[in-house]
Amino acid sequence: MIDRRLALVALLALAACGSKPEAANERSLSIATTAIPHAEILEHIKPALAKQGVDLKIIVLNDFVQPNVQVAEGRVDVNYFQTKPYLDDFNKNRTPKLVTIAGIHVEPLGGYSRKWKSLKDLPQGATVAIPNEPSNGGRALALMAKFGLITLRAEAGALAVPKDIIANPRNLKIRELEAATLPRVLDQVDLAMINTNYALSAKLNPVRDALLIEGKDSPYVNYVVGLESAKTDPRVAKLVAALRSPDVKAFIEHKYDGAVIPAF
Amino acid sequence: MIGFFASIDWSDIALATLDTLVMLAGSLALTIVIGLPLGVALFLTGARQVWANRVVHVSLSVVVNILRSLPFIILLIVLIPVTLALVGTSLGVAGAIVPLVAGAAPFFARLVETALREVDRNTIEAVQAMGATTRDLVLRALLPEALPGIIAAATVTAIALVSYTAMAGAVGAGGLGDLAIRYGYQRFQTDVMVVTVVLLVVLVQLLQMIGDRLVRHFSRR
Repeated sequence: MIDRRLALVALLALAACGSKPEAANERSLSIATTAIPHAEILEHIKPALAKQGVDLKIIVLNDFVQPNVQVAEGRVDVNYFQTKPYLDDFNKNRTPKLVTIAGIHVEPLGGYSRKWKSLKDLPQGATVAIPNEPSNGGRALALMAKFGLITLRAEAGALAVPKDIIANPRNLKIRELEAATLPRVLDQVDLAMINTNYALSAKLNPVRDALLIEGKDSPYVNYVVGLESAKTDPRVAKLVAALRSPDVKAFIEHKYDGAVIPAF
Repeated sequence: MIGFFASIDWSDIALATLDTLVMLAGSLALTIVIGLPLGVALFLTGARQVWANRVVHVSLSVVVNILRSLPFIILLIVLIPVTLALVGTSLGVAGAIVPLVAGAAPFFARLVETALREVDRNTIEAVQAMGATTRDLVLRALLPEALPGIIAAATVTAIALVSYTAMAGAVGAGGLGDLAIRYGYQRFQTDVMVVTVVLLVVLVQLLQMIGDRLVRHFSRR
C-alpha cells in the first residue's frame, strides 16, 4: 500500500517536472514588480492585454533583489521596478545579463525652495541641502550639474559626492542631510534636493513647486527588464506597447499628479 | 599599511574629530547644568524625602521616561521646531546640541537620582536634625556625599553622548560617527571606517580614564 502511494507521488512529481514551466506558457506573461506605482500601472493595463490574448501575471515583491534573480533564473518573464544605474550594479559579475527593454516612468527628484522663486534668484553662497546617502546624493548633484549650478568631475559617475564638484560659480554650500529630514528643514536652506515621495508627504507639488526637476531624460527612468530573449518575445512587445500607450500616459499623469511622470 | 590608508582625506577626519569634540563638550556641559537639578528634584520629591510630592515626582518621572524612550533619531526630528526657536538653526553642530541635551539630560538626571539615593539615610537625618535648610542639605550634604557617584554618572553620560553624536549626522552635524556611517558603511570605504572607529575608541577610553581619576580623587572612602 505504502509503496503504491510512493509510486504515485513519484509519478505526479515526474509529471509536474515534465509540464511546461509557466514562463513558456504562450498565453500568460509573468512580471515581478513593486507595489506603487508599478503594480498599479500594470493592473491598469491588464484588461487591455487580456483582450490581446496575454494573461498578465503580476507578482508584487517588496524586495529589490528577488525580482532580478527570478528573471535571471527564468522563473519570471520580466520585471518592472528598477532604474538603469541599479540594473548596471546588479549585472556586475553576473551571467546571464539582464537588459532594459523599455523605459516607462520616472519618480523625479527635484529641487525645492521656500526662499526663492526660480533658480536665477539663487544667490552667491546659497545653502543647498542634498540627501546624505550615496545614490540619492549623487543623483541630486547630477541634477544640479545638469541645470548648470555646478560642474562635476567627468569620472564622478552615479555616486558623485560634494568633493567631485570642480566648478561652483555661485559658491553654493552643500549640506548633506538625512533624506527624510529635507522637507522639514526647507525653511532653513535656500534649496533642498528632495525625492518625490518625501516631497509629496510634505505637501510639496513636484509640478508646481520644484525649481529644478528630473525629466523623462533622467537616468533614473524605471524600466521593464528581462533576459535578452525577452526583447523579441511577442508577449513582451504587447506589454510594452500597452505600457507606452497614450492611455497609460494619461493614467499616470492624472493619478500621480507629477509624482510619477511618463518617460515616453 | 600606509597604502591602505592612502586614500583617506585626513582633513576630513580632523574636521570630524573637531565636530565630535565640540558637540560633546557643548552638550555635556548643558546636560549637567540641566540634568543635575532635575536629578536632585527627582530625588527630593520622591517618597519619604524632604519635598515628597507624588504628583510632582510622577510628572517629572513621566517626562524623563518619555524623553528616554524616544529613539534618538526621532528626537532629532521631533525637536526641529524647538531647536529652531532656541538656536535659530536645526542644522549643523549648533542644531545638534539641543536634541543631544534633550536625549542625555534625562538619562543623567536618573543617574544622579540613583547616586543621591546611595547617600546614607542617617547622614541626611542628622543634617536635618541640626536644623539645616533644604538648600544646605543639598549643597553641603547630598551633593558632596554623592559627588563620586555623580562624576561616574557624568562619565557614563559623556560616553552615551559620543554614540548619540553618530546620529547627529542626520541634521548635518558631521562628526566621527557620521563619517563612519556615510563613508565607511554606505560607501564601503573600510579605511575610513577603521580610522574613525579607532578614534572613537580612543575618545571613549580617554573619557573613562578621566572620569575614573576624578572619581578616585573625590572619593572619601
